[in-house]
Amino acid sequence: MVQQTITRTGAPKRGFFRELAHIYRHGDGATKLSFLLMGVGCIRRGQILKGLMYLACQVLFIWYIIEFAWQYLSKLNTLGTTGMQRVWSEERQLFVRTPGDNSLLILLFSVMSLLLLAAFIGLWRASLRSCYKAQVLSQQGKKLPTFAEDLRTLGNERFHMTLLTMPSLMVIAFTVLPTVFMVLLAFTNFDANHQPPGNMFTWVGLENFRNLFGAKPMMGNTFAKVLGWTFIWAVIATFSNYILGMLVAIFINNRGIKLKGMWRTIFVITIAVPQFVSLMLMSQILHEQGPLNSLLMQLGFVEQPVKFLTDITSARITVLVVNLWVGIPYTMLITSGILMNIPKDLYESASIDGASPMRMFFSITLPYMLFVTTPYLITAFVGNINNFNVIFLLTRGGPLVTEYYQAGKTDLLVTWLYRLTVDRQDYSLASTIGIFVFLISAGLSLIVFNLSGSSRREEEFQ
Amino acid sequence: MKKRTHLLTHTLIPLALAGVLLPITLLLPWLRVVGEEGFVFARTGINLLLFDRGILRMLPLAIGAGVALVLSLTLARPTRMAVRLLVVAFAASLMSGIYLLLSAKPTADASGLLPAPMMVRDLQFGFWLFLVIALAGLALALMTLRQPTTYIILTAMAAIWLLPIFWLLITSFRAESGAYTTYIIPKGWTADNYVRLWTETEQFNFPRWYLNTLVVAIITCILTTTLVLMVSYAFSRLRFPSRRLFMNLGLIVAMFPGFMSMIAVYHILKAVGLAKSLVSLILVYTGGGVLGYTIAKGFFDTIPRSLDEAATIDGATRNTIFWKIILPSSKPIVVYSAITSFIAPWVDFVFVSVIMKDDYANYTVALGLYRMLEREHIYAYFTRFCAGAVMVALPITLLFIKIQKFYVEGVTGGAVKG
Repeated sequence: MVQQTITRTGAPKRGFFRELAHIYRHGDGATKLSFLLMGVGCIRRGQILKGLMYLACQVLFIWYIIEFAWQYLSKLNTLGTTGMQRVWSEERQLFVRTPGDNSLLILLFSVMSLLLLAAFIGLWRASLRSCYKAQVLSQQGKKLPTFAEDLRTLGNERFHMTLLTMPSLMVIAFTVLPTVFMVLLAFTNFDANHQPPGNMFTWVGLENFRNLFGAKPMMGNTFAKVLGWTFIWAVIATFSNYILGMLVAIFINNRGIKLKGMWRTIFVITIAVPQFVSLMLMSQILHEQGPLNSLLMQLGFVEQPVKFLTDITSARITVLVVNLWVGIPYTMLITSGILMNIPKDLYESASIDGASPMRMFFSITLPYMLFVTTPYLITAFVGNINNFNVIFLLTRGGPLVTEYYQAGKTDLLVTWLYRLTVDRQDYSLASTIGIFVFLISAGLSLIVFNLSGSSRREEEFQ
Repeated sequence: MKKRTHLLTHTLIPLALAGVLLPITLLLPWLRVVGEEGFVFARTGINLLLFDRGILRMLPLAIGAGVALVLSLTLARPTRMAVRLLVVAFAASLMSGIYLLLSAKPTADASGLLPAPMMVRDLQFGFWLFLVIALAGLALALMTLRQPTTYIILTAMAAIWLLPIFWLLITSFRAESGAYTTYIIPKGWTADNYVRLWTETEQFNFPRWYLNTLVVAIITCILTTTLVLMVSYAFSRLRFPSRRLFMNLGLIVAMFPGFMSMIAVYHILKAVGLAKSLVSLILVYTGGGVLGYTIAKGFFDTIPRSLDEAATIDGATRNTIFWKIILPSSKPIVVYSAITSFIAPWVDFVFVSVIMKDDYANYTVALGLYRMLEREHIYAYFTRFCAGAVMVALPITLLFIKIQKFYVEGVTGGAVKG
């Protein structure tokens, strides 16, 4: 009940500025002072511990900005002006290296400080809110919640704060911050020639995007070709896996088949074996001197070893076939449950009408499955666009060709991105590609989200 | 019953045709031989079968005759017994055909009949026709009996899927060193690869890596599961301002390719002095794992709300509800979260390689095994790599089989039941 009265302060909850304006208009001296010195209002009403904590946060934040963040934030517009220099030192009689501006740290800590600033503004608003609440309550002559009572709400009314603080911090530190940082890199010239701490990089605007779209023909050409292959790969890989995996599931679910559990387990084993193990194994089996080639030669099928992974066409076919080996059991597992849900009477009436199994598959099974699994299909498509493991562990994107800019004929956008960052340190270009991968994935996922309607049904479940 | 007899008579004509054609193919050219003078002549199947006078080589001939024999019986009186015999006959023909195909080169080369090493392409259309007819006959006979031919397909597929894994297993016990051998089955067997993997630690410290991975996996598992449960409960059960905003942010951020931010993660860890340490791995895996909360949230969504409401009326706080109501009824999802987050550190090699660089002592097994296959190590370490891969794959396979049901539900967003 305490909570009920507290929330009714009269301040509009919606709109950041409207709420603040309301608090400013209706606040008394102490509340108005809280705009500058956080928590003063609370201290004035006797919530001393709470008020002091707000104040401490403010002091800490200002200290952080002055002592640490400002040296980086002030250089954010140029990302550093003085590089590493060799200065003649009189006393030591030799050239001394003086560390210059480190563009990477400037950008990284600036982004971090800006995120902290946003968090601080949120805290500032929360402090004003709580000061204003304290003011309203004391004006109404009601008892203010003590610090212990406030703490107790963390287990109930504000339980979400207790639950979400740690996870949010983790996600912000290891996902949001790095992602924002890398997105910003797409607008810089951070490549192998601009490596901190020795060299600096700086903002270049949309130059990387222009390069990808033809300002540098080789890069633009590579991007178009790799993007094309990524799509071809994703379409073939997704649909071949889907159809064939579903057929296997149908085989196993056939009424006459015994030992269903055994067959399913056989295929599940191949999913369960970690992908890096099974794919490295495959790359060894398919190696030019690998067991498959030596077997084929011994049996007289071929005279020369087949270049499964080193010839352009056969490498592309091989990755698709191996992807089938990896993916079919997976689709089998996913689809067998849905297959069992198809109403049996559909098949019964079809077989009375004399439909062949083939006809039943195309007229009943496939349409039903497509209808139910469209979201899964699109998720799988996005997964295949980002299918790093299969390509990287089998061909490493190769065979490399000179007409491509640091890419091979089986490279997908993500494996190209990986090579550019890890092998070539061409971070700005990699980030630009990453943004495109994001746009494709996000666009497709948006479709899934609308199709599945799980967001709308969320409340109905409960 | 009527249908069965109908089917019997329906497929009898093609069956009979197959049965008659099978022996005839033995008179067609089976093998092309280029003589020293350069002339080409064709050898019939009978010739080929006799060329090393082996008894097994006679099999197709016998089978072919047998098929014709059984066929005459069938034509006279179409019984199930007769068709069953046909199945056996066709299956034996097919087997001997495949055996011939696989053994043709060694036998032909040993017989000295051919001037040049034999290739499979030297086999002529007579042989291929034999194979095709045997296969078609078998399929037809099985269809007549209304036996699911699916068993054959399933067995063949199971073989394709299991053989590579089987090869990994036997290679891990191979006594001969080296990466590639010209044969499949090892010549000598040993458990030495396992012993050396665990004891020889100067270059590749596998026990250390295994321990690293185990420690990282256990801590990640505990942290991730706790955080995932917290997030899922908050998003599923609590209604608070900016809940949607948080969920959408999580969705969007998860869609950026992870490799893009690896470098930034490395520098962040370096800035706080944690780069190249196991703690950093735990933090990174946990941070990534938290975003996979959606499956657990979907599970919580299905727990009836009325339970919470009843408890609230009885004066329970949300904290109590979480511990007393939600957690006890979500054991399956706890197991699922725990196992998936436990598996993650075992199978990742990309993030580890970026964070650890060349700090071999802090590697995890996945990266360590990956290094073993690099060009300079593969010759010495290939069999040990196989042993290590088995050591990693075994526990993970068992764990995965345990959670496969939830896995399906998670991937399909709960659309699948049963």
